[in-house]
Amino acid sequence: MNIIRFEFLKLLKKSRGWLGPILVFTLIMIAYPLTVELTDIELGQSFFSILWIAALLVMMLATEDIFLEDFNDGSLEQYAISQNNLSFVIGSKIFIYWLVIGLPISALGSIFCFGIINQHNFSFQIFPVLLISTYIFLNVFSFGNALSLTKGSILGILVTLPMLLPLLIILGKVVIAINFDLNYSGFLFLLLGILSIIIVIIPMITSYIIRAHLE
Amino acid sequence: MFQVNRAYPYIFYLSLAIYLFSLFWGLFLTPEDFVQGNSYRIIYLHVPASFISQSLYLAMAIASAVYLIWKVKLSVYLVRSIAPIGAMTTFIALISGSIWGIPTWGTWWVWDARIVSTLILFIMYLGLISLHDSFNNYEKADKFLSILVLVGSVNIPIIKMSVEWWSTLHQPASITLSEKPAIDLVMLYPLFGSIIGFTGLIACLVILSSKLQIIKREKNKSWVKDYV
Repeated sequence: MNIIRFEFLKLLKKSRGWLGPILVFTLIMIAYPLTVELTDIELGQSFFSILWIAALLVMMLATEDIFLEDFNDGSLEQYAISQNNLSFVIGSKIFIYWLVIGLPISALGSIFCFGIINQHNFSFQIFPVLLISTYIFLNVFSFGNALSLTKGSILGILVTLPMLLPLLIILGKVVIAINFDLNYSGFLFLLLGILSIIIVIIPMITSYIIRAHLE
Repeated sequence: MFQVNRAYPYIFYLSLAIYLFSLFWGLFLTPEDFVQGNSYRIIYLHVPASFISQSLYLAMAIASAVYLIWKVKLSVYLVRSIAPIGAMTTFIALISGSIWGIPTWGTWWVWDARIVSTLILFIMYLGLISLHDSFNNYEKADKFLSILVLVGSVNIPIIKMSVEWWSTLHQPASITLSEKPAIDLVMLYPLFGSIIGFTGLIACLVILSSKLQIIKREKNKSWVKDYV
């Protein structure tokens, strides 16, 4: 519990780390209707693809230095040799990032959804999907950033982004289901299933990678 | 290595003969397709290349697991040597698919689940190569490469099943283990031959590439100096 509290305070103190991605997300969502001259209906049709890509991009930015500072100042080494389970520490770190960045972005995404599509049921339905997908994005990008810890984040993004493209296809299917007023709970459970596997496996693999970096 | 060296020419010439014979059979001796005309004949390149591109990734995943569990260095050499060959076969599959798409679909590219997932596989192969090459420390690079291959293997069932899970323009598999082939036997036999021949040729390429990788990585060992 102390670790979660400590990581939470550490991230809050570093406002660039959490406020930056939220503001970037807001700017993308505000700027995109200005870049195209579309009617309200056409705006609504392209809204979701912009939403997923913006969420993906922002999560990518948010995790850019998730482990780098801790690696450079020796905190990760301390965690690795202490009695704390390193994969738990990493899992907590990702959870904190999701709480501080993913959660507000999901809420903002729902608000923008209401603002652009003007249907409250759409924004209510998209909120849990955003919550789950941002958590998955964060986990996968954290894994990528752990891999390329000392080599810059581009390499990490290059190797992990392809893994997220099938998820984008699923998110596209969710939107179709919501658009046609179909039952989308199956997709929601599928996303939850993916998330439940990822939140267990990714911290374990990431801790293994970080230990390899520390060797 | 000496055993492989001895077997390699036999595998190469046999595979080349099988592939050329199947290609000749498929291109000149099989009838035209009722719907697609002669354009279907590209299957003798497209199907083997697609099959191999996914199989190679599976082989890499198995080799990576062997490396991570038992620390067998040869298996990670194999992973590294397969990666560019996998990228090459995936590229052939994509290009031949595009060429086939022009007369049959009327377009060389569609944003279809099977095609996009194959493109993802191609990018993943390139990502694996760049990840491994970005580390000077081979031990670290090998570990990260193996982990990434294993994690990335989740894409293989997605590529395989994409034609079943999504409504795609790409046709479902014509040959499955559980059902009667959807392709006529006249076309099927040369297709099997081309798959076997192509697999053999790619196996030879993997052998050569692995040999190069072993020599490169073990260059400071005395046996390599004696061998070279």
